[in-house]
This record gives sequence, C-alpha cells and structure tokens, in this order.
Amino acid sequence: MVPFDFTYHQPSSIQEAIQLFQTLQQQGKKTMYYAGGTEIITLSRLNLVFTEAVIDIKGIPECRTLRFDKNYLVLGAALSLTTIEEANVFPLLSKAASEVADRTARNQITLGGNICGQIFYREAVLPLLLTDSDVIIAGKDGLKQLPIQQIFQKQMRLHPGEFLVQIMTEQTYLSLPYRSIKKRKQWEVGYPLVTVAALKTNEQIRVAFSGVCPFPFRSQTVEERLNDRQLPLESRINEALHHLPRPILDDIEGSAEYRLFVLKHTLFDIITELEGE
Amino acid sequence: MIGNSVIRKEAWDKVTGAAKYTNDYIKAGTLHAKLVTSRYAHAKIKEIDTRAAQTVPGVRAILTGEGLPLTGEDLRDRPPIAFEKVRYHGEVVAVVVADTLVQAEKAANLVRITYEPLPVVGSPREALKEGAPLIHEQLGSYQKGIGTYPEPNTNIAHRTKIRKGNMEKGWAESDVVVEANISFSPSDHAAMETRCAIAEIRPDGYIMIHASSQSPFMIKKLISSYFGEDVGKVIVHTPLVGGAYGGKTPVQLELLAYLASKAVGGRKVSIWNTREDDIITSPVHIGLEATVKLGCTNDGYLKAAEILYLFDGGAYSDKAIDVSRAGAVDCTGPYHIENVWCDSLCVYTNHPYACPFRGFGHGELSFAIERTMDLLAEKLQMDRLELRMKNAIRPGHTTPTQVLLNNSNVGNLPKCIKRLRELIHWDDWQRIEIDARTVRAKGVSCIWKTSTVDTDASSGAILTFNPDGSINLISGVVEIGTGTKTILAQILAEKMKMDIKDIHVKMEVDTQTTPEHWKTVASRGTFMAGRAVLEAADDAIRQLKEIASIVLRTPIEDLEVGYGKVFLRDDPTIYVDIKDIAYGYKYPNGNAIGGQIIGLGNYILRHLTYLDKETGAGKPGPEWTVGAQAVEIEFDKRDYTYKIIRAVSVIDIGKVLNEKAAIGQVIGAMSMGLSWASRETFLFDRYERVLNPQLRTYRPLRFGEHPEYVVEFVETPQIDAPYGARGAGEHGLIGMPAALANALSIAAEVPLNELPLVPELIWRKKKGEHHGSI
Repeated sequence: MVPFDFTYHQPSSIQEAIQLFQTLQQQGKKTMYYAGGTEIITLSRLNLVFTEAVIDIKGIPECRTLRFDKNYLVLGAALSLTTIEEANVFPLLSKAASEVADRTARNQITLGGNICGQIFYREAVLPLLLTDSDVIIAGKDGLKQLPIQQIFQKQMRLHPGEFLVQIMTEQTYLSLPYRSIKKRKQWEVGYPLVTVAALKTNEQIRVAFSGVCPFPFRSQTVEERLNDRQLPLESRINEALHHLPRPILDDIEGSAEYRLFVLKHTLFDIITELEGE
Repeated sequence: MIGNSVIRKEAWDKVTGAAKYTNDYIKAGTLHAKLVTSRYAHAKIKEIDTRAAQTVPGVRAILTGEGLPLTGEDLRDRPPIAFEKVRYHGEVVAVVVADTLVQAEKAANLVRITYEPLPVVGSPREALKEGAPLIHEQLGSYQKGIGTYPEPNTNIAHRTKIRKGNMEKGWAESDVVVEANISFSPSDHAAMETRCAIAEIRPDGYIMIHASSQSPFMIKKLISSYFGEDVGKVIVHTPLVGGAYGGKTPVQLELLAYLASKAVGGRKVSIWNTREDDIITSPVHIGLEATVKLGCTNDGYLKAAEILYLFDGGAYSDKAIDVSRAGAVDCTGPYHIENVWCDSLCVYTNHPYACPFRGFGHGELSFAIERTMDLLAEKLQMDRLELRMKNAIRPGHTTPTQVLLNNSNVGNLPKCIKRLRELIHWDDWQRIEIDARTVRAKGVSCIWKTSTVDTDASSGAILTFNPDGSINLISGVVEIGTGTKTILAQILAEKMKMDIKDIHVKMEVDTQTTPEHWKTVASRGTFMAGRAVLEAADDAIRQLKEIASIVLRTPIEDLEVGYGKVFLRDDPTIYVDIKDIAYGYKYPNGNAIGGQIIGLGNYILRHLTYLDKETGAGKPGPEWTVGAQAVEIEFDKRDYTYKIIRAVSVIDIGKVLNEKAAIGQVIGAMSMGLSWASRETFLFDRYERVLNPQLRTYRPLRFGEHPEYVVEFVETPQIDAPYGARGAGEHGLIGMPAALANALSIAAEVPLNELPLVPELIWRKKKGEHHGSI
C-alpha cells in the first residue's frame, strides 16, 4: 500500500503538463512525472519514493508516438516495453526491452520510465546509446532535441520540471547487425549480472553495458580496445576490462570478480559473432 | 472411485476466483494493524517513542512488548512482541492499530525506536564457538515441554542424540571412510497467500479468530494456554489456505491479532503480512550446517555413520526444535546402518526464526547424506545406484531410533531404485560430453520420511445426512492446496458405494463445530482423517442398517448399504432408499423412528513414543514412505551455467488414491525442491540483515524455467492406512537438492556441498578460492 496521499493529474498536451508541474511546484508540492508507474508504486510502499503529486504523461499524444518521420524512427516515451517489443521496428531495442522484468511488468513499464527511473539497470537505454539517438525533452522553455550521449551520463540529467517526450533514432541504424545478451544470476528472471548490447557499423563494433557498474554506459576507450584488431580477441577483451568505469558492481546478484568473468565470456561471444557477419 | 483422478471439490471456485481466503473476510468496521519491525538483527531496545505515531488520526492503539508472556511450542523463549532486545532482523517491536491500513502504516512509520546494537551470530557454527554472544541469556529459566533439552549458557535450544549399535565396531568393520561438510542458509516458503489473521473478542468473552493457518486447533489451545483464556471460548475459523508448505504451522500473527483486539476493547483487528514481512518477520525455512562421516566395507556395505546436524533455528526455537528432532529420527537417509551416532542440534542464531518447510527436515538431511553417499561411491569407484541399492532400507532392518521395519511400515525402496534406473537410462550413461563445452550428467538421491507429530495427535470426522440421502463431510483437515478434502470424499464415496457428487465437503474449518485434526502437516491428512472418515462411515452404515432392519423386518446382518439404498444381501430387490431413512423413517400412519443419521469417527496415532534422551530410541511415526529420485542436467563447462533437463521421482505411496492429484503433489514438491536448491536463499550482510526480503530479489522458480517432470509410483500398501495409502505430500521435494547437487558435482568435477547451486558457486568452487571484490 502507498503510505501517503498524492494527487493525480492527466494532462492531454505537453504544454499542459509543463504548466501543471510549475503550478504544483509553486504550491510547494513535490511532483513527479508518471508513465508506467511500476517504480512509483513498488518503491513508495517501501518508503523509497515520496511524492505529493503525479503527472501522468500517457495522455499526451506525442508520448505515445510510434512512427517513422523522414529518416528517423520516433518512439514516444510512454510506449510500453511490450508495445515496442511487438511492433519490432527497432530489433535491438525490442530484444533489450524484452529482457527487462517479466511480461506482466513490461505491459506497464514504459520506454521513458525504464530510462529515467531509479532502478539503475535502465537496459532500454543501451540501444539508444549505441545508435547515437536523439531525445526530445520538454521543459518550461518548450521542446529541445539533444543527443542522448549528452544528456545521459550514468542517468538522465533532466532539470526539475523537464520530461522525456520522444526518442529519435536514425533509420539507417535499425538494420545493422546487433547482439544483446543478458546474463543473470540464474536462468530467465532477475536483474542482470551483465547486459551487453552491441551494434556493428562500418566494421566497428559499438558496445554498451548494464549491470557491470551501478549505471549503464558506453565507453569510447572500451570500444577502442575491443576494436583493436591488431591483437587477438582475448587480449582485446582483457584490455577493455581494464578500462571499464568503476566501481564494478559487487552485490547480491554477483560479486565483482564473477561479473567480470561473465562479462569476458559474453563479450567474447558477441564480438566473435558480430565480426563473423 | 479409488485411484480415479477426481477433480477437486473446490476447483471451480479456485479457477473462477470465487474461492475465499482469510483476508477476504474483512468487513466494514474492521481495524487494521501494521507491524513495526526491527532493522537490527541483535540489539538492545533503548527506547520506543510512540508520541508522534499516536497523533496520526485514526490510531487506536500502539502495542509494545512489556508484560507479555513468553511463547513457543516446545520451549517458551519468544515474546510475541520483542521486549528489551531484538534477536533478528524483521522482529516485531510494536504493533499499530488504526481505523484504516493507511493510517496504521503512517503511524508505524513514525514510531521511533532507539537501539543499541549487539554483536551478531551469523551461523550455527559461529553460535557454538567459545565466547559467542548469547542470544538467550535466560535459556535455563524458560518453560519447556517433555523431550526438550535446552543447554543453558549456550546457544543450543535443543539436542537430540541418536546412539545405535557400537561405533567402535562400526569403524573397525569399515574399510573406506568419507567425511563431508555441507551447509545452506535459511530461506523462505514463498506461499502465494501471505500470512494473515483477524481477531475479535466479543462482549460475551468469545474470541473469534480467522487465520490462514495449518494449525487452527493449535491456535485455540495456545491462546488459551498463553493468556489463560477458556479453551472453549477461542473459536478459530480457517477457510481455504493459499499455500502453506509448513510456513503456516507456527502460531504468530494470531497472537498479535488477539493482543491487538484486546487493546481496542475487543474490536475486530486484521493483521495481514506484506510480502516483506512474510519473508522475514514470519518464520522461515530452516538452514543447516552438517558434518557427515560414513564408513563402509570394500564391497560397499555401510557399517558406521557419525552425523552432526546443526540446524539454524534462528532467534527463537519454536517449531525448529521439532524439525531438528525429525532430522535425527531419519538422520541416515533410507539406508541400513547398524552403528549410528548422531547429534542433531537446534541452534540459536540472529537469523529470522525457523519453522517447518515441506519435508520437515528431510530435504535438509538428505542433502547432507546423499552428497556424502556420492562421495563414498566415488571413493569406492562403485556405481552410485548400486551403492544405494546395496544399503537400501528393507523390512527386518531398524531405523536410527531402533524401530523394527516390516512389510507394512516401510515401502519398497529397492523396487523404487530399480524402476528409477530404467526410467533414467542409468546404464546407458551417467556423464556424457556433448561437445567441447557441453556435458550432460545425471544425479540421484534416495528418500525416506516418517512423521514426527505429537504421540497423541488425533483426527475426527463427522458425517451428517441430508434429506436426499447426500452426506456432508466435516473434517478438521485444512485445505491448504493438497486436495486432501477431495480424497476424503473419494474414500467416503468408495466406502458408501455412492456418487461423489452427493458428498458435500465442508471446506472451512471452524474449531467450534469441526472435529479436531491435530494439524494439517506431515503428509498425515489422508492417513489420519481418512481413518476417521472410514470409522464415521462405519458408524453411519451401522445406523442405517439398524433402521432399515426395522423397516424391512430383517436381521441387521442380512443388510448391505450402497447405491443410495439399504438392501438385502441375497435379494437386492428388497430395499429401502437411504433418503427415506436418513432423517428417520416415517410410517404411513405418521409414526416415526430414527432421526437424522450422524456418523462419527476419530483416529489417534497408535504406539508412538517419546525418544529416549540418551539414545533416541523410540517410535516417532507410523510408517516410512520411500522413493528414489534423479535429476539430469546440461552443464556449460566454460560459463558454469546449466539447465535442468529432466527430474524424475519414483515413490512408493502405498496406494494411488487419486492419480492426477498424487502426480500433482509430487511434481509441485519437486519444483519447490529444485527452486530451493537452484536459487532460493536469504542473503545476509555482515550485520545479519536480510538483503533480499522481496520477490524482486528473492526469486523462486517461475513458469518457463521448469524441466520435464517424470513421476511414477510403486504400491506397497501400508496395511493400517485407508486403502493402503502412504503419505505423499512432501516426499517429491526431499531428494531434489541432493540429486541436483550430485548431477552438477559430476558434471563440473568439483564437490558442490552448498546451496543454492547458482553458477557463481560453481565458478568459485572451480577456482578454489573465496570471492573478493575489485
């Protein structure tokens, strides 16, 4: 049970949402944007989330977009992960999204929620990092379009009152060879020990990670090491592991050392397969 | 009727959602309680400040631990609400009662407790170390039951000793000896319905409890005994229970609901565990550390067993004492060993307190024994099933507590092993390399189990007739999902030679009107309640014949009952319909004789004894169910990941009463065993706080992760049981952890003596060192 009262607001436009946020904030109310709500519901009952008002962005048409616009795929932030999975317009994203939580939860979890939420795995961001996608952010000065790499550093760096409206991905990326592998403590359910998503473009392999550190990331240094084809693959991987950001996660899902063991093999499989294509 | 896969009586209600569970009985006006629980595993309570909480609108009472009696089934060591100190993470420190659950939660968040942390005890072996912190300083002064032996000034709540034969002789006759240490931490039951209780004290003094429980009759007795209430004034209702697995045998929330109701003038109060509270605050699945030493001759005959079981009873002993006793009773597994030394201890730690888990100590002891049996086979270079076959317990042998086995009180283990051997194609291969990375392996385990319920446990049944000749069947067995009440209806239908649709089963237990069934535990429902139903049927038949003999003017001896009639044995055309005599018989002139037929029956376990304090000798249970199990896995030698391909059980259940129900019970139990063995455990930090008290991080096996299940039965009747049927509700679980560990140990070529068997454990064992962080 959610142990506090809050007001619920469902605006039908971006403008209305932004205004609502400002009004609620002026009233001194702690306010959150709300999409799927799975985190708000499950964490508030543990007193890990507190809010006095929620603004549900699912009623905003732009947040529900799933279309191609010129050379871009445009995905609304409030699309559920299963919607994206089933539409399958972005196979790498479909694959990464389909491994989050379980089916029932994915019916509720949204693309934006997974990326902007507290739970730090945020695996849906990996394909966006790999494809240099852009994000559309709404704020009190209107909409702005930014490269994801710029605004996503460990987490979304949104200002108070801003929310994620859409993701724009260049269509040319959608048909590139990819892999996405999630390794868990045991079998098919659970948070990742490591999730590795990879994309091959111009004979270069791009790699993004979740579960390795307490944040998802894509690292230029790591990619350089992995693509250094002068060296045998094992050495490239070992080099890359040395250049991972820190700390390496060491928690109830797995120790840091074991995670690296798993990561090494996962990278080996992914790169072997992608380089063979 | 017997053997038919009759659909459960409550099946339609369950699949349509119409079935009612305890928390569905909350009515308007019911107050709600929220538990305030400890964030520490061991700490002094310096201060509880409830002032802020009291100001929350709707708050009616805030209960704390002072002035309450100590509770516990074998040993009274537990205050219902912590007093002066807390002994586990999640222990109840205060209970807030309010008009709504939201208000209760708000207030509970405002209760400020000041603790002074104490050093913690994180395992039984730590608890037994010289100088270990004492968890119960007053152990010597606690009230205890017969056959409970706490050791004051230690952390030992109870010790059961088994001394059978002559150890010196046993070791002298042994050519080969192996010793193994095994261990696993406590875990959870994870029943779908979390535990809950509702209490109300009426103005006339009657105490009405609704509880999701396996022990409604024990709740009544314990509330009476702890709080001095008249036992007849405590009335417990238990509707359908949404999974229990032993976790609903202890009496915990019921006491709190009773105390809460008392604190608000007897108003109805509901306590309903959140999933988190259910995982750590309510009793848990026991942990174990064990050392097993087995000796045998060169040709593989076991001669000696020296066994130390250190059960992790957690902060309070309650039912854990009994689990540790059960571990001693069947300590050797189903093997014939003449010389046995076993100490089975219930040890206090700062973990959540333990209670029964499906298998009652047997899945736990089997993991220790069956791992050691595999190590012995390896050392002997003997076929693993052959070693088990050679030593399989048989009629004429004695158990560790020196019960002589006969053709009725033990099933046929050699036959189970033989059939298992065929089913898993054991002789084709036991370990096979599929390719450079993939290996398949089979692991086996044998099982046995008797019950260790109270020596005077009994079960009653009442049959009342309806005017149409149909029968209401009333038994104290709780329908916890095992389908036992349907089996009882089958037993009755068979006996009365009637259609099962004309038997109306009362699903709910109401301790005022339902005859007692001791507890719905220990796979004893069908045996004990079945015997009671048969006796009640005999009673009803006798009464039916009596009236019919008058109506038909024949001697009673010439009559038979069946097919809705009482008829002449030699001329069935002469009969009277049961419906015409079930409510008395009325003559054409209006005279009447008889009255409603009410059949009564009960059954009390016979010839059970306490165990001797020094040798353990005694008769703990009526019979032993035996079986043989196997698990086949596919293992990745590079990643140490694996898949369970197939799990197989061959169990001697005496007689199959309802085939699909029996298979369902066994598969369900196998699935629980594999889930526990492969992934379920509490993870503790260094302060012994549970790090995964949520289904997000405590993840039982889910749909889609299951292997193929194969179940077959052997039928060696237990002569004194209804139609020969043996207990079967738990046994499918018992050998699964060991069989999985044995298969993985063979595949990975490293002994795996811990649970759960996650790939990281195998990786660590292969590496041969402890994990470190980077």
